[in-house]
Amino acid sequence: MKRLGLALLVAVSVFAVPTLAQEGHPLKGSWLGTWTGNKIHGNDVLLVMSWDGKNITGTINPGTDNIAIKNATLNPEGWLVHIEADAKDKSGQPLTYTIDGKIENLPLANRVVTGTWKDSRGDTGAFKIGRQ
Amino acid sequence: MNLRVLRSAFVATALVVTATPALVVAHHEPLAKFDDKKPLRIRGVVSLVDWRNPHAHVFVNVKTGETVSNWAVELESPIDLEASGWSKTTIQPGDQVAVTGIAARDGSRQMLGKTIVTAGGKAIFTVNVVPPPMPLQPHPTPKWPDGQPRLGSVPGGVQGYWAFPSATALVENGVTAPMDEWGLLKNIADAPKVAPMQPWALQLYKERQERFLRDDPMYLNCKPPGGPRQFQLAYGVQLVEDRVRQRIFVLIGSGNNNYRIIYTDGRSHQGQVGGDDENPLFYGRAVGKWEGETLVMDTRGFNEDFWFTNGGLPHTDQLKLIEKISRPNLDTLKYDLTVDDPGAYTRPWSASWTLRWVAGKEMPRHLCQENRS
Repeated sequence: MKRLGLALLVAVSVFAVPTLAQEGHPLKGSWLGTWTGNKIHGNDVLLVMSWDGKNITGTINPGTDNIAIKNATLNPEGWLVHIEADAKDKSGQPLTYTIDGKIENLPLANRVVTGTWKDSRGDTGAFKIGRQ
Repeated sequence: MNLRVLRSAFVATALVVTATPALVVAHHEPLAKFDDKKPLRIRGVVSLVDWRNPHAHVFVNVKTGETVSNWAVELESPIDLEASGWSKTTIQPGDQVAVTGIAARDGSRQMLGKTIVTAGGKAIFTVNVVPPPMPLQPHPTPKWPDGQPRLGSVPGGVQGYWAFPSATALVENGVTAPMDEWGLLKNIADAPKVAPMQPWALQLYKERQERFLRDDPMYLNCKPPGGPRQFQLAYGVQLVEDRVRQRIFVLIGSGNNNYRIIYTDGRSHQGQVGGDDENPLFYGRAVGKWEGETLVMDTRGFNEDFWFTNGGLPHTDQLKLIEKISRPNLDTLKYDLTVDDPGAYTRPWSASWTLRWVAGKEMPRHLCQENRS
């Protein structure tokens, strides 16, 4: 019981920390959200992205699926995001994801990317991630 | 309420508006909160004088018909008001005042006071902050016994600090891009000229400008003024040289009164924060060395949680600064900067300005409070 209480306290403390805007490249950082209807990799999605001055790099679901981002672009005109990543389905067959979205609330701490995802098999759905 | 008196006060107000310099020298962009397209006049009775940083406020009861509404009039900080001879007892609850200014953008009963005139016709809370006069003949640069310039006070001499920067926003040397003292461009079309930004950085800079810099983390969350910004703030900096421990402290008068350390002991950029060497910092990791009479500082390891300029120029954690400080005479500090950030800019670029020595005074103690800066 004491352990549960401690865990709850830690959880509350973690979530009580105010989110602060990241003021550098708008895509850099950890993003958590959903790609609705994804039967292969599940509804929940985590993206970790970085910016080296020329390229956006990163991984989808690091530590679990480890899907490397093959190509990602950010068009400042409208803050349009395009991400391509090669994965594998449950049988080990190649599967390419394409994500298109738009950054909303750019200057704010609750910045999100909303749009759609689709894969090379034709499955598609809504995509939404928030900056952590 | 004596309408004749207040009518006279308004006449006086109009005269004051045209006869005095702008009395608002707020330490953050006032247009982030107030709309200069919404001029406003109120007259009423003072209900409260709230005399505290970052801004003093006078609350005024305004009667319209049978309804009384309370307005908050934002003034300068008590630091500047007191430096101009005003105090919290300059007016008292119950006094009649006429106020001109501009209204809050959000439609609330707040205004930025540009003039306040008493029922007796006296203009109050005017602020006129000017740098100390330069001597006709420059005083020589104070030096240590080994001939190295002193960046701070002279032992046995008067204390002081550095303020009144000749530029309060960062612009590449040689570029003309008019902006106000908080870095807000007069013409947004000048944005691409300010610095050689990458497309994403330029768009972000433009959007920050179009929002009147209201998202500035130093304004919203009291984030430190890392990078060159600390040398462009209203309340100055103090340079304290610890020659025994071979480091220089940059004490910052604005914001939340924190400080930056420049190590001059020859160490590398790594290993300065025990156990946390790779953690990027608001002030980065600065090492410095003297080249003749110029202190050359190399700073890197910045985080991305702040704005490094008043006008909102973006940076990334790839930011590297080369800063050169010299003191050509007692009263002048020369600051030369090279910004090298391949994450946000297409090439390195430079900016330069000077600061003035404010002799015989302590650096103002200004405290930042979140959402009130």
